[in-house]
Amino acid sequence: MVPARAGGNPAQDEHFLVERARQGDRDAFGSLVDRYSDQAFAVAYGFLQHVQDAEDLVQDAFIRALERLDSLGRGSAFGPWFYRLLVNAALNRRKYLARRQMQHVPAALAGRESPVVDSERAELRRHLAGALKSLPGDLETVVILHDLEGFKHPEIAKILGIPEGTCRSHLSKARRQLRDQLGEYRRPN
Amino acid sequence: MAELHDDRPIAEIEALRAPARTDAARRQACERILGAAEPLLAMRRQPVSSWDVLAAWARPGLIAASVALIVAAGALLSGRVGEERLEPVALGEVLASSEGGEIPALLVAINEPDAEAVAAAALMAGDGNNGSLQDNANSGRGQ
Repeated sequence: MVPARAGGNPAQDEHFLVERARQGDRDAFGSLVDRYSDQAFAVAYGFLQHVQDAEDLVQDAFIRALERLDSLGRGSAFGPWFYRLLVNAALNRRKYLARRQMQHVPAALAGRESPVVDSERAELRRHLAGALKSLPGDLETVVILHDLEGFKHPEIAKILGIPEGTCRSHLSKARRQLRDQLGEYRRPN
Repeated sequence: MAELHDDRPIAEIEALRAPARTDAARRQACERILGAAEPLLAMRRQPVSSWDVLAAWARPGLIAASVALIVAAGALLSGRVGEERLEPVALGEVLASSEGGEIPALLVAINEPDAEAVAAAALMAGDGNNGSLQDNANSGRGQ
């Protein structure tokens, strides 16, 4: 991996890595993968609820990013641009899976926990995933990025290319819809 | 109150969080991504020759030229169809239809003048008639 340059700030380091990856530097690209793969996996999992699908999606997103690296403006931040690619790829992937009627059992239900997993919790999880999926694209993305992955509103606004205020109202609307849909499955808080 | 309620995240959503990956799984995933990226990275490492650049532009260039040609041909054809075709008029007819025997129409004509008219105008100019044609027959009648 390419070490961070001494005295450089992270953003400049990242521009440096992107420039070197543009020239085909494997280590530089590896550093970008290393920086973003964990959170990218978490975001992909938030959409797909399947470990292997999420891994595949992250790989596709990185390959797509490498193919389109020249379209990233010089000096533009890699992160928001990459997450936008990832989110679009996730939404498309899910549409594709829905078309093929492939029903994936979430990893959590397929052995990640012990066989004596609480069936109520499993039921809740299934409903939650369904309710999340039924939200309009941007609303679902905001919930996943904000409530699941801890992105801040300014970051989400950059990723989705929307104003921060819109992002906040999307989140509020999405939570309200989720609460309505979950209804009985929610524990009182 | 409802606003305040909506500002809190839904606690149960935690259930959808991704499982933590082991270091080995993480490393393996990164290696897999780099392996898949290697052909693209290798392509990026190759210096691009000017011929490659020209070849890359050739196809879009040809398409653009074809489109331009079609548009130009279309414009030309539609222009011709809409254009009013003016036939040359003999000098005698012009003189017969003009008032006072002068033919100012020739001076403002859109089409090139008839050869006879040009010759006549040149002859009149030589006579000190300032280039305006007088119908001799008309002027004779006037006197």
